[in-house]
Amino acid sequence: MEKFSFKDILVLIAGLFITAGVAYAILTVTGFIPTDIAKLFYEGAFVGQRNILNTLNIATPYILTSVATVISFRVGMFNIGINGSMYVGALYAAWAGYRFTTLGHLSHVSLCIFIGMLVGALWMLMPALLRVYAGVSEIISTIILNFVAVLFVSYMCNGPFRAAPIAPTTARILETAELKQYFPNSEFHTGFFIAVFVAFAAYFVLNKTTFGYELRSGGDGLVGFYPSRYSSYLGIPSDRSAITGMLISGAIGGLAGAVIVLGNTRNFYQEMAFNQGFDGILIAIIGKLEPLGGLISSLFYAALKNGGLFVDYKTEVSREIVVILMSILIFFVSAQKIVSSLERFEFVKKLDKFFSRKVK
Amino acid sequence: MNKKQKELAIEVKGITKSYPGVVANKSVDFTVNKGEIHALVGENGAGKSTLMKILYGIEQPDEGEVSVNGNVVQINKVDAAIKLGIGMVHQEFHLVPSFTAAENIGLGEEPRNSNGLINWDKLNKDVSEIAEKYGLDVDPNLRMIDASVGVQQRTEILKTLYRNADILILDEPTAVLTPQETDELFQVIRSLVDEGKTVIFITHKLREVMEISDRVTVMRDGEVQGVSETKKTSVKELANLMVGREVFLQVKKEKSKPTDVVLEVKDLWVHDARGLVAVKGVNFEVAKGEIVGIAGVDGNGQTELVEALAGLRDTSRGEILFEGKNIEKNSPRQRRREGLAHIPEDRSNTGLNVRLAIWENLIGTSYFRSPLSRGGIVSMKNILRHSNELRETFDIRSPGVTIRAGSLSGGNQQKVVVARELSEEPALTIASQPTRGVDIGNIEAIHEQIVEIRDSGKAVLLISAELDEVMSVADRVGVIYEGEFVEWVDPSKVNQEQMGLYMAGIKG
Repeated sequence: MEKFSFKDILVLIAGLFITAGVAYAILTVTGFIPTDIAKLFYEGAFVGQRNILNTLNIATPYILTSVATVISFRVGMFNIGINGSMYVGALYAAWAGYRFTTLGHLSHVSLCIFIGMLVGALWMLMPALLRVYAGVSEIISTIILNFVAVLFVSYMCNGPFRAAPIAPTTARILETAELKQYFPNSEFHTGFFIAVFVAFAAYFVLNKTTFGYELRSGGDGLVGFYPSRYSSYLGIPSDRSAITGMLISGAIGGLAGAVIVLGNTRNFYQEMAFNQGFDGILIAIIGKLEPLGGLISSLFYAALKNGGLFVDYKTEVSREIVVILMSILIFFVSAQKIVSSLERFEFVKKLDKFFSRKVK
Repeated sequence: MNKKQKELAIEVKGITKSYPGVVANKSVDFTVNKGEIHALVGENGAGKSTLMKILYGIEQPDEGEVSVNGNVVQINKVDAAIKLGIGMVHQEFHLVPSFTAAENIGLGEEPRNSNGLINWDKLNKDVSEIAEKYGLDVDPNLRMIDASVGVQQRTEILKTLYRNADILILDEPTAVLTPQETDELFQVIRSLVDEGKTVIFITHKLREVMEISDRVTVMRDGEVQGVSETKKTSVKELANLMVGREVFLQVKKEKSKPTDVVLEVKDLWVHDARGLVAVKGVNFEVAKGEIVGIAGVDGNGQTELVEALAGLRDTSRGEILFEGKNIEKNSPRQRRREGLAHIPEDRSNTGLNVRLAIWENLIGTSYFRSPLSRGGIVSMKNILRHSNELRETFDIRSPGVTIRAGSLSGGNQQKVVVARELSEEPALTIASQPTRGVDIGNIEAIHEQIVEIRDSGKAVLLISAELDEVMSVADRVGVIYEGEFVEWVDPSKVNQEQMGLYMAGIKG
């Protein structure tokens, strides 16, 4: 993978400034005082224990879905179906949360997480097998499976898993299955530490183990021309790597769903709407398809999101503005042509050289 | 004539161009006379391509100026170059496979009817006329998907002529051609010059320089090393200028002393990707201490034969015996464990994963062993030491081993593959086109390494479309034609013409 360079940082900063400029313009036009809004935005994202905890809480599923994206993309599989894994993972974690009644806290939580991950992984088994043995594009099959997942969980919590007669929802999970919330004023829970651990573990496995090398040898980039013949030429079973990568990706997607149910909602209901699986793709790309990059950009994304929610709560400004701003920012970060065109400036070249020497 | 200043088609003064980490052109002066064939030679990374990209408007120089036909010009995009009458035929063809020759040639410049639709008749007629004028044998209605490499190249040349190019840049045009096709190309080049065109011919095959060019410019490390009239120089002198040291054009080796048979192929049949029979029941042996060469025009079953031996393609009949054992069912990894190494012909998608770092490509055959990894955990310290050793031994020119393999030049990419495969000290090395795209100094080094392997008692199977290479390196050569061996020869006892006949399928 290409590492971050000074040029990337420059483009990111420029992108932030331009985004701020656009925000200024939109707010002024719609009759608000931009500096006040900016202050609120900052406060909402970073000021005070409650706001910081909420930012971390929002970041939790993003960290997991971006890591799930990183793994599948770097294996060479363009997995768009992490959202689907999230849904089924969440549903079955909830089921395990109320179904098993005789377990202790640690064993119950572990079992729920395990089941969520297992179901999330199994959800990815079909697209992976179709890709490897029938040549069906995993992009198409995983997109379709996202819809299937939504309808499937909707059926399950209306039918077999429905607990309350008035609303389509599962029973509440038992206390033994809950991920602990530490503070009374925020939903921040143990899931955050799990997510951070997963990001570090993914970094270690991908970069520091022979298993990770075998996974990456057929892919390792955004443009996944699966299968790169390199791995099969070396005798690494590339089909197995592709399937394994998809399963791991699905398992982490399922985990993302599970921690929301176990830590935040404590049950699964029909109106639960996930989009972290899709946003995770953008976040992973901003993080240069590195697990730790995904971790950092998840925190960044969550801060923006939480700031936006705070502004929405305190003022008349629509929270949708955050979506607009994120889009502009992503546009800049992913604009590789802009990055390379910066090379024509002498000072950029010099700074680039200076920074890359420091890194070495 | 000599006293008078010749008219210059192109004059380049003091061009400097640097990329991050390298200076590709250092105050280069370069002139091309009108109506001449000017050869530009140099190793990979010498700066030839950069200079031509500047002339063709793909890159902008940091310093210096370019004059075309005596006028100082700014060539800031390709369109500007085309307007000035400069045309370029790239090494990789830029053709639409499903389009016909005429459609490719006219693309973007289609003649229109009065109603605004494309006037196909006029286009076909224009193309035929130009083709006839310069002796370029191209059927305007032939789709490129069905065309041979030679025809595709002629189509590319026609594309530039259709846009009224007076100065043609041909970037390594013979790299993909058979000897016969090369001769045809040279006839075309001569007729172009007869019609008043100017040709810049980039190559690193010095024999061709001597044969076709009027003048020659040699580049090395981004600088011009010398300019000379071709008849006043020699291959030896050019080679030394290119590499910057004494070069031995002949591979030095003792007579081979073959011992035990390592590889035995019996009645092997292999199908190609389309399901057609590509290898038709071949039999041969390779023994320890010898280099067996397979010569032939590309596409006569070499690819399929090599892939079958390396375990990348199923065989339909026959046996592959490696040290007496049938390895037909073994995976590539198992064959490598037995001691079979493979330098594949397709380096960018098979021999390497260009998206991985250099070190990641260098450890592909050894990452699972101590000291590079222990218990599944890689040791970056040992890997970097190992990779840097290979980088030095095999002279891979890069700022470090942590950059992506895709950012290396073709020759250096090939060195990564060769380094990885040969570092395993395999009992048998299958080397398919091991020096394709590699420059002369490094070709010499790779050839020396191959001979060294042989002398240490190992076996080598060398497959190459370069006749010179097979003839000078191999101890025994089989000529393959349409999936069968036409003849087995001793390269020291057969001449080029005879080999050409064998390669065309004509038995002696």
